Amino acid sequence: MRRLIAPLSVRQKLLAVVLVTTLTALLVAIAVMVGFDLRTYRQSLISDMTTQADLLGRTTAPALTFDDPRVAQENLELLHYRPQIRAAAIYNARGKIFASYSGTDGREFPKLPEADGTRIEGNELVLFKRIVDSREILGTVYLRADYELYDRLVGYLGIAAIVAAIAMLVAYVLSRQLQHIVTSPLLAIAGVAREVTEKRTFSLRAPKLSKDEIGMLAESFNTMLAEIERATRDLQASNEVLGREIAEHNRAEQEILRLNTELEQRVKERTAQLEYTNGELEAFCYSVSHDLRAPLRAIDGFSQALLEDFPKDVPEEARRYLSRIRSSTQRMGQLIEDLLNLSRVSRGGLERRDADISELARQVVTELQTREPQRKVDISVWDGMRANADSRLLRAALENLIGNAWKFSSKTDQPRIEIGSLSDDGRAVFYVRDNGAGFDMAYANKLFGAFQRLHSGNEYQGTGIGLATVQRIVHRHGGRIWADAKPGKGAAFYFTLESDGVEKAGRDMAEAQA
Amino acid sequence: MSLRLCALVVSLAAVAPVSALAQVDRAAAETQIKAAFLYKFSGFVEWPPKAFTRPESPFTIGVIGADELAAELEQIVKGRTVLERAVVVRRMRRGESVAGIQMLFIGQAEGARLAEILAVAKGQSVLTVTESEDALAHGSMINFVFVDDKVRFDVALPQAERGALKISARLLAVARKVLTSS
Repeated sequence: MRRLIAPLSVRQKLLAVVLVTTLTALLVAIAVMVGFDLRTYRQSLISDMTTQADLLGRTTAPALTFDDPRVAQENLELLHYRPQIRAAAIYNARGKIFASYSGTDGREFPKLPEADGTRIEGNELVLFKRIVDSREILGTVYLRADYELYDRLVGYLGIAAIVAAIAMLVAYVLSRQLQHIVTSPLLAIAGVAREVTEKRTFSLRAPKLSKDEIGMLAESFNTMLAEIERATRDLQASNEVLGREIAEHNRAEQEILRLNTELEQRVKERTAQLEYTNGELEAFCYSVSHDLRAPLRAIDGFSQALLEDFPKDVPEEARRYLSRIRSSTQRMGQLIEDLLNLSRVSRGGLERRDADISELARQVVTELQTREPQRKVDISVWDGMRANADSRLLRAALENLIGNAWKFSSKTDQPRIEIGSLSDDGRAVFYVRDNGAGFDMAYANKLFGAFQRLHSGNEYQGTGIGLATVQRIVHRHGGRIWADAKPGKGAAFYFTLESDGVEKAGRDMAEAQA
Repeated sequence: MSLRLCALVVSLAAVAPVSALAQVDRAAAETQIKAAFLYKFSGFVEWPPKAFTRPESPFTIGVIGADELAAELEQIVKGRTVLERAVVVRRMRRGESVAGIQMLFIGQAEGARLAEILAVAKGQSVLTVTESEDALAHGSMINFVFVDDKVRFDVALPQAERGALKISARLLAVARKVLTSS
């Protein structure tokens, strides 16, 4: 039923409800009325026939008493005025038929009378009734009458069908006329709702046609529409703002991209220029250094020859001048040597191999101790330090770092040097630490530049190229170098030999600019 | 009890026409039927209160000239009541008073003296029953006749009315003839 009704419109549903209700009420009413009528019919027929039988009994009692079947027969014949009674008979006290009457059919009568009572046999009512007079049973009346229950029922059903048809027709017409009272406000709301959904015009409003629940629905619907309208407007406004912002953002991003591209291009160009210049500079430096050594060696060599070949001819004063010439040329030779080293470190290939840092450090320490056996320095080198690195370059770096430590701790009472490693986030960090002169961290940024010296040449000897060389070596390994120091409290140099990714770009740039 | 009587009456009525073979049997049967009818008449007749001398007086049926019938009637009424009174059969003789009698049967044996006997009962509340031709003319109220081998009866209403007796129309319905005011 529900599935049948579900797809119908409200109008049709209302109609269906009215018709179904009407039909049901009608059928119930008709069923009750017919049932009641048939029951009444049956009761009245039985009572009528019983009365008839009593009357017949009373009328025929004298005939039975005085054994006069003719009179009884005459009495029975009167029944033809009641065609409803099809047959009747009077039995005497011995159960023999005394008189009989059969109006329309020629059927036989029961051979023997039965006890008092009525029963329905198909469409006939059969009745037996004792004839009692002065407390004597004189005989029995038998009656057979039409019992028109089925005919009546059929008749009633016909009437019911006609009445139902008329009633349904009237109900249909009436409900068609009246239903718009209920449906029109609903349909108005539904129409507005459909229009709102299709055209998205939230400014529409449903008309309030009634003051009942549907009217309330229309009001609520309108309130909702107003709310939606407002929310939509807000949303649109914020959408516009957002759109503008996004456009701006996009434009800015484009600009940044463009600038970036430009910048990259410029960086590339500059880098290329710088590399070229650097290369030239290095080549120049190398050739100059190389070419400078020959005249220097000549100056030194001939100065020495003068001193050795003419020990008597050279006055004491000249001898002193010659010594100074020699020391200057030697210092200059050392400087050139260092420059060549720096240059060499930058050129040439990088051969990474498993390098024993502990062993390299010990070799450097031994060399230093051999060179200045009079110095007592407490040097500790950790065991088992290894790295995947170019051991030739690494040795050069260690020579510089340990040499520095050796040099700057020369004026300390109990000089101490430690070469070790520690782990930072799984990466090995090596360090060379001393308790020597140290330096002010304010100059830390100048530390690794070539020819930068924090201490005067009188205090400590040096060319100022060592740390630049070390930094170059560390960078070529993809590592990093940094220092920690305090004046008079010593210095520590830390370095790694592996790339840690993050700082590579910055370092590349820094290196390129250096 | 009443069933038995009923059965008797009906059986006699049924047997009567067949038993023409034996005259004696037939006469006996006829007597039995008449005795039964006599008793039955009491149910269709209404007596005035003055017909009974005392409230507790029995219902008395007088029989003259029909001893066999009287005997038969005595058998029938034994233990029965009429109008809630005991029933008594009195064999009477000619000239005897009909006082205290409600029903009087005069047999064929009385013959010519019929008129004389009827004259005594005339004007009294006594239902007179006879079995002779022209008895009604002599003042009898009910007279048995024999028709088609069956016992039937005629009724004369004027005589009954004179005796203040009311005979039921139902009885009249089964009478062969009913004489109304002459």
